[in-house]
Amino acid sequence: MEWKLSGEQESYQQTLREWLVAVAGPEPVRAWFEAADPGPFNQRLLGDGWWGVGVTEDAGGQGGGVVELALTAEELGRAAAPSAAWLSSVLTVPATGRWGDTPSCWLTPAEGPPRVVDVAVDGDGLLTGTVPRVLGASSATSFVVAVRGASAVELRLVDDSDAVTIDLRKLLDRSRDVADVTLRGARSTLLEAGADAALADAASLSAVLVAADALGASQRMLDMTVAYSLQRRQFGVPIGSFQAVKHTAATMEVMVEASRSAVYFAAASIEGSDVDSRLHAAAVKAQVTADASIAADAALTVHGAIGYTWEYDLQLFYKRAKLDEYLCGDPHWWNEQIAIGLALA
Amino acid sequence: MAQEGSDVDFELTEDQQLIRTAVAELSAKFDDQYWMEKDENHEFPTEFYDAFAQGGWLGITTPEEHGGQGFGITEASLLLEEVSASGAGMNGASSMHLTIFGMHPVIVHGSEEMKKENLPRVVNGELHVCFGVTEPGAGLDTTKITTFAKRDGSDYVVNGRKVWISKAQESEKILLLTRTAKFEDSPKKTDGLTLFFTDLDRDRVDIRPIRKMGRNAVTSNELFIDDLRIPEEHRVGEEGQGFKYILDGLNPERMLVASEALGLGRAALRRAVRYGNEREVFGRPIGMNQGLQFPLADSLARLDAAELVLRKATWLYDHGRPCAREANTAKYLCADAGFEAADRALQTHGGMGYSEEYHVARYFREARLLRIAPLSQEMVLNFLGEHVLGLPRSY
Ligand SMILES: Cc1cc2nc3c(=O)[nH]c(=O)nc-3n(C[C@H](O)[C@H](O)[C@H](O)COP(=O)(O)OP(=O)(O)OC[C@H]3O[C@@H](n4cnc5c(N)ncnc54)[C@H](O)[C@@H]3O)c2cc1C
Repeated sequence: MEWKLSGEQESYQQTLREWLVAVAGPEPVRAWFEAADPGPFNQRLLGDGWWGVGVTEDAGGQGGGVVELALTAEELGRAAAPSAAWLSSVLTVPATGRWGDTPSCWLTPAEGPPRVVDVAVDGDGLLTGTVPRVLGASSATSFVVAVRGASAVELRLVDDSDAVTIDLRKLLDRSRDVADVTLRGARSTLLEAGADAALADAASLSAVLVAADALGASQRMLDMTVAYSLQRRQFGVPIGSFQAVKHTAATMEVMVEASRSAVYFAAASIEGSDVDSRLHAAAVKAQVTADASIAADAALTVHGAIGYTWEYDLQLFYKRAKLDEYLCGDPHWWNEQIAIGLALA
Repeated sequence: MAQEGSDVDFELTEDQQLIRTAVAELSAKFDDQYWMEKDENHEFPTEFYDAFAQGGWLGITTPEEHGGQGFGITEASLLLEEVSASGAGMNGASSMHLTIFGMHPVIVHGSEEMKKENLPRVVNGELHVCFGVTEPGAGLDTTKITTFAKRDGSDYVVNGRKVWISKAQESEKILLLTRTAKFEDSPKKTDGLTLFFTDLDRDRVDIRPIRKMGRNAVTSNELFIDDLRIPEEHRVGEEGQGFKYILDGLNPERMLVASEALGLGRAALRRAVRYGNEREVFGRPIGMNQGLQFPLADSLARLDAAELVLRKATWLYDHGRPCAREANTAKYLCADAGFEAADRALQTHGGMGYSEEYHVARYFREARLLRIAPLSQEMVLNFLGEHVLGLPRSY
């Protein structure tokens, strides 16, 4: 059993991290948020060659697998980069089996994993209906949707921007975007992939990648917390010398380390099609995103009032972690999936 | 007492303050060593019990006409809290708990003869009593008991099994809840239950102590009841109404248990603070570490908050007002705060906490009990969720 990243994976992680420091520091990130336009960041992701990492070459990506995707998600979380388009596109691969240069997304509410939605489909494959709170919809040029067809659930691909309306919603976390998507007789084609398997694969993938994102945000908040507790002085000493502060940081560290092991393991488990991979994915979504949310509160507490300000960057990661807790299914929902698997009464 | 429109009054009355100090003084005569030995030897604290009997404390809630003092639940809870807080803990409290309030169904629903014959002896400490409700198949779900009392002329003949009956070993009599009609034959599930106050005839009832985690000075027992004959006169109130009679006493029971938990928490906290000041590691008292100091300070805050709810609950009861919400909340908060304090006291003592010598291990084992019995924390939440918040019954 190998319990570490490969040399290649480590250097990928390192290079991506450095690239994000250079390209997506707090200043540009805040500017993208102000403009409510993740487009420039998506362009750089594509232009600098990060867009297709983790998707097989067969499918049109640059190779690598779920571990690489998790590493990417973690780094994007650590930078609070506007990554909704990347994430939503990656989640469509289990349905389309294809990867392209333009973003795509599932038509499904962001607060749960991809699921069947109430969109009507007629005999010609024209779709009508509204799906609320779709992650990454503002950037997407094609949409995957699971609908109830004549005899079974069908996966369909919508590629008809004239018949699609996107109404952007406001999120507290500005680093991701969701929108209500309305289809007015939009043309669609039937996808070949089996709906059940694609939905389940996309769900597990979403669990691991959102957990990885939360891990990245937690690590960043831990780093900020430790740095701040050494810098800020009260009663003549750094606040980090107060035991309660020290222990808070230590508890965060425990959470982050446990989360990291669990996330990488779950990613490898999916990549290797382990029989229990769905369980592993559910466990990390429930555990890691809940811990990240607690870590966010701990970080805020240690920062005192300054953490509460708009100018101080902690708020970017705080909100990131808080959304990750609910994005693609909250811990309660994922725990429920685990409980179902345990055959309790 | 607060008048309509006057300020909220948090002061105990003179009587109540007196009760507090007197009980604390009497309890202090029985030190930690005494309780450690009683617990270790599984020995009933007779000297302690007798001292309280002689002091006239056992009849604190019994009406004056039956030889008691006729005080309310507030005073009874102060008594048990102080007993527990002295370090006597649940061993001390359980030795007299039933004597203090367990006779309530008899006082309210028993015949005059029953009261005349028994209450003065309960009050003077001579008559030990126990309370038999729980059965192997019926824990919290009381109406599912199956111990059956079958009519035979003017007698009843009882067969069945009880479990966890505290103090049965030491008791002459038992308040025994039975069925006189089967669950299946009863129109309402709370019908068909009948309460007796009768002799615990050793020829007919086999009493076997249960080996348990703590509170070892007072036994809890399994009872195997085989053709126990009970005369009609030993029935409390009417046939089939037993559940209602017990229900009457549930809120006071919760408050008394809450006060015991609270007292135990105070005892644990006191020990923790003492050790935190005395023990030096890395050249300074361990209590100087925020990692130790803060949990103890937090426990103090939680115990104080729980105490306030308890005082409110007993005040409501003694003023004849509805108090189920507060009684349940008090039980819940006191049991949690008490256990947490005991857990933290143990942690503060490090390895020494694990030895019997420092007493916190005993408190810890006893405090754990109050989250389970007589009513589990979950059942409190069931009550609050359903009856206070108006959510659907969950079970
Ligand atoms: C030391 C000791 C002394 C005792 N003394 C006496 C005594 O003197 N006389 C007497 O009659 N009894 C006595 N008891 C018994 C005590 O009252 C019971 O243990 C208590 O009522 C719980 O019942 P149970 O143990 O059968 O738990 P169960 O009813 O079997 O419950 C088991 C668990 O399931 C949970 N549960 C059950 N129902 C629900 C629900 N609807 N919703 C959510 N959770 C639920 C409970 O909270 C608990 O955690 C004593 C017990 C102990 C340990």
